[in-house]
Amino acid sequence: MSQLQCAQFEQMLEEHDGGLPNAAAAHVKGCAECRMLWSDLEAIRKAGTEWGSEEVAPPEHLWSSIRLQMESEGLIRGTTAGAGWLASWFGAVPQWALASASISLLLIAALLASYQTNVSTANNFSAAARLPAQMSTRSMREKVVEADLGKTLDGDLKRVFESLPERNPLLASSLRENLGIVDNLIAVCEKSVREEPNDALARDYLYGAYEQKAVLLATATDRSALEVQ
Amino acid sequence: MVGNTAEAEDLTQEAFLQLFRKIGTFRGESAFSTWLHRLAVNVVLMRLRKKTLAETSLEETTEPDEDAGTSRKDIGGPDLRLVGSVDRVNLERAVEQLPPGYRSIFVLHDVQGYEHNEIAAIMNCSIGNSKSQLHKARMRLRELLQEFERSRAREARQAAKGGSGGGQ
Repeated sequence: MSQLQCAQFEQMLEEHDGGLPNAAAAHVKGCAECRMLWSDLEAIRKAGTEWGSEEVAPPEHLWSSIRLQMESEGLIRGTTAGAGWLASWFGAVPQWALASASISLLLIAALLASYQTNVSTANNFSAAARLPAQMSTRSMREKVVEADLGKTLDGDLKRVFESLPERNPLLASSLRENLGIVDNLIAVCEKSVREEPNDALARDYLYGAYEQKAVLLATATDRSALEVQ
Repeated sequence: MVGNTAEAEDLTQEAFLQLFRKIGTFRGESAFSTWLHRLAVNVVLMRLRKKTLAETSLEETTEPDEDAGTSRKDIGGPDLRLVGSVDRVNLERAVEQLPPGYRSIFVLHDVQGYEHNEIAAIMNCSIGNSKSQLHKARMRLRELLQEFERSRAREARQAAKGGSGGGQ
């Protein structure tokens, strides 16, 4: 075969990637060198295709590195510290001890604030403040959570803080401190429920935390009313 | 496409970060995997372009003697057939030694399965240019693989000589 025909054959290989035209196929049959060239290029193409068909997983450290970078850019929230704290709350401490410790904390706070009831001011409470006495069943609790209790409580607490008399800064300080403790507990419980919506224990703790906040609200409201009188 | 494991890991990380930053721009006009794949390719190409000293076209990232053409006839040794000897290790070694432009084209077309019209859009070149560069990339790979085979045969001959002539 003349070199010219072999050069044309190679030009055809370049232009018709993926298949040989009839003229090129005929040339290959009669030219050993071009046949070898075509065979080698096909072997390279197939080896590349096989290479691409393999599923390659990146090394494990790459995922950790991606996660750290995303947390540093604020694209996702870090969870390692929270998970550790959550694990210590729900894993290391007996359930009954955890529940009783939380309630005891608020009872102590109420005693320090000199709790006294005032029936005449009860009507000024929001529905949320009256809830603790009614929250005796799980279904009632679930209804309360569905009613966005958190936002309702926050609104009521804001009004309470605004009404606290200036002559008793100790009460305001005590209330804020205890509120911080309860809000932390609510945040932990809400996070747990978000991550495990079917976790009944997490939901119980969340309902309990809302109850505690409502009790705190009721206490502060009563105390504030007494101060004003 | 970059021929370097460490750099490939670095670019994989960057691709996933870009994914999260730009997820809001995904309009659903193509499959999500296609969109992600294209995003990853763009991340790699951006890195390759930054590495070149000056603005270069696709042609300029190939062999310096491209205009002279690469001869099919090897000088100083017989053509060695490759059928049956294109194993992954040798292919990867050969791809790493390709110039960046050839390497990108080969990986995009033969390894990743992009069509020439897609490569032309990605690389900002013509379809004819993409086909031409792919052919030249494969020809260069053929040369490199033949060199590997010749080296291996030479080493085998030297090992055999050394064994037989050890008593002299």
